Amino acid sequence: MIARVLAVFAKEVRDALRDRRTALMVLVASIVTGPVTLVLVAQFVSGLEERAAHLKVRMAGAEHAPALVNFLRRADVEIEKAPGDYAERVKAGRLDAVIVVPADFHERWLAHEDARVQLVFDDSRTESGPAIRQSSRLLEAFNRETAQLRLMARGVSPSLTESAKVDRVNAATPQQRGAVLLFIIPMFALLAPLLGGMTLAIDATAGERERGSLEPLLANPVPTAVLATGKWLAAWASASAVVAVTLAGFVTASRLFAERKLPALLQFGLPELGLFLVVVVPLAALTSAAQMLISTYGRSYREAQTYVSYLATAVTLVPLAVMFSGAREAPWQAAVPALGQLMALTRVLRGEGLGVQDALVPGAVALVLAVAAVAAVARLLRDERIVFGRS
Amino acid sequence: MIAAAKLAKRFGAVEAVREVSLEAADGRVTGLLGPNGAGKTTTLRMISTLLAPTSGTVAVDGIDAARDPLAVRARIGALSDARGLYARLTARENIAYYGELRGLARSRVAESTARLAALLDLEPLLDRRTEGFSQGERMKVAIARALVHDPPNVILDEPTNGLDVMTTRNLRDAVRRLREAGKCVLFSSHVMQEVAALCDEIVIVAGGVVRAAGTPAALREAAGCEDLEEAFVRLSGAAPGAGP
Repeated sequence: MIARVLAVFAKEVRDALRDRRTALMVLVASIVTGPVTLVLVAQFVSGLEERAAHLKVRMAGAEHAPALVNFLRRADVEIEKAPGDYAERVKAGRLDAVIVVPADFHERWLAHEDARVQLVFDDSRTESGPAIRQSSRLLEAFNRETAQLRLMARGVSPSLTESAKVDRVNAATPQQRGAVLLFIIPMFALLAPLLGGMTLAIDATAGERERGSLEPLLANPVPTAVLATGKWLAAWASASAVVAVTLAGFVTASRLFAERKLPALLQFGLPELGLFLVVVVPLAALTSAAQMLISTYGRSYREAQTYVSYLATAVTLVPLAVMFSGAREAPWQAAVPALGQLMALTRVLRGEGLGVQDALVPGAVALVLAVAAVAAVARLLRDERIVFGRS
Repeated sequence: MIAAAKLAKRFGAVEAVREVSLEAADGRVTGLLGPNGAGKTTTLRMISTLLAPTSGTVAVDGIDAARDPLAVRARIGALSDARGLYARLTARENIAYYGELRGLARSRVAESTARLAALLDLEPLLDRRTEGFSQGERMKVAIARALVHDPPNVILDEPTNGLDVMTTRNLRDAVRRLREAGKCVLFSSHVMQEVAALCDEIVIVAGGVVRAAGTPAALREAAGCEDLEEAFVRLSGAAPGAGP
């Protein structure tokens, strides 16, 4: 029996590899996914950090506020004169934030009167966020310093003004900050087996029937379970290979970034790759089996393709739905296919390590369901209506 | 040796086969003759265990098909109605795949392939992928694939459909050689000349029922005419006034 399963497996793999164009397309897509994603994400993140790290404000009417300018200079902030049409520029997104000082500011400030500045910004654009926060924090700091100096001048302790002093400590390590953005890597890791198993799963079921090779195949003295198992193993192998290539792309890309000293986005090296494979390869068994089961129902190759693409949508939506439903992480979620894997992968990326249970529960669930799906395919292949078409 | 008794097959409201009984002996070519839609393909599918009969039995070399379908399949080589090949595999690989599925050793597959290639005039095609093959070439590969295990019983469903004259002639030669080798050959056709040229035994089916059976000479006599084609038309109930 094992020899026959292997015969089916070998034939399907060979057949799939001979489909050069499809194989090459899948390969290229999976190789470039990692680098392209990381380049885009890294550019976005480093752009944000760069803007924030280099302190710089734009001012209009700086000459009316010598004290503020003095404060900013001491804080090592670069002051740039805002162009006259700053309002339009802010609106158009070419300027992040502008501090506007009216002509009477200095006199009023000296007189302890109601001295005002304007902070002009457009917070509908997220990338302006860091610059807006920076400017407003600097203004607050200027206020605090002025107030403290004035209180001291009157013999009042400055600590009176701040009953609770806030020290800002950002608990997110660079790695964690990366993981927030790189919710994307687990998502790709979940989608890779779908991409990798699809062609083979459809071709070996709906394709086999459409090309008229299913009937003669079934005339061989081989139980349908053997055929279904061989085909499934081939689809699983293909899915796993694509997963490995995709993730290897991420490893390579993250190495390249480490050299360029871009922010430590994520730790994604060989150990993480290994853990990812431990989690995703069992999932690939399930996705391939599910794709086969769905395709066996499809009346044609086309129809099977359509149904199978719904599966990809489901795999993407299940974790998202649970996340946005606000449900807290609960043990049962580990047993939900795709969601359990996503949770485990996120843990790996957060650097929290992968417990035996974290990998075992989703993996076992996936394998059990996969075997059930393969058994269902074997049963369908004994169904006359499925084999000879439904009328 | 193939024996079918009172086979019937119903698909929902459609009775594809109502009552077909036939015997095909070893060393003889038995032709299943009938117009399109007579139930020939359904009958052959039941014999090759791809369809379960609604009622009736099939025995191949004495093995009950309902009881042990895998053993029956092992003793049959069937060219089915669907004869799709794997386009990205070569002819040789297509044949070898079925050999492996039937548990043949590699050496035996190679030996079989060489023998069948000679029989069917396939040699120049063996190592080409089948995607560009003509209908006749595909048919030959499909037959070789079905016979890779040298089965004692050979079922051919409309093997000459869509073939040109030369290929048809080659195929007839191949069938005669199978008979000489002592095989039980059962094949279906809707072409009278086809059956007349080859068969030792003819079973005429129409409307899912056997209308007549016997040697060509016996059928001519039963129909009361010298022309076999005329006999077919009368016996299959296609002509007005004729019937069982």
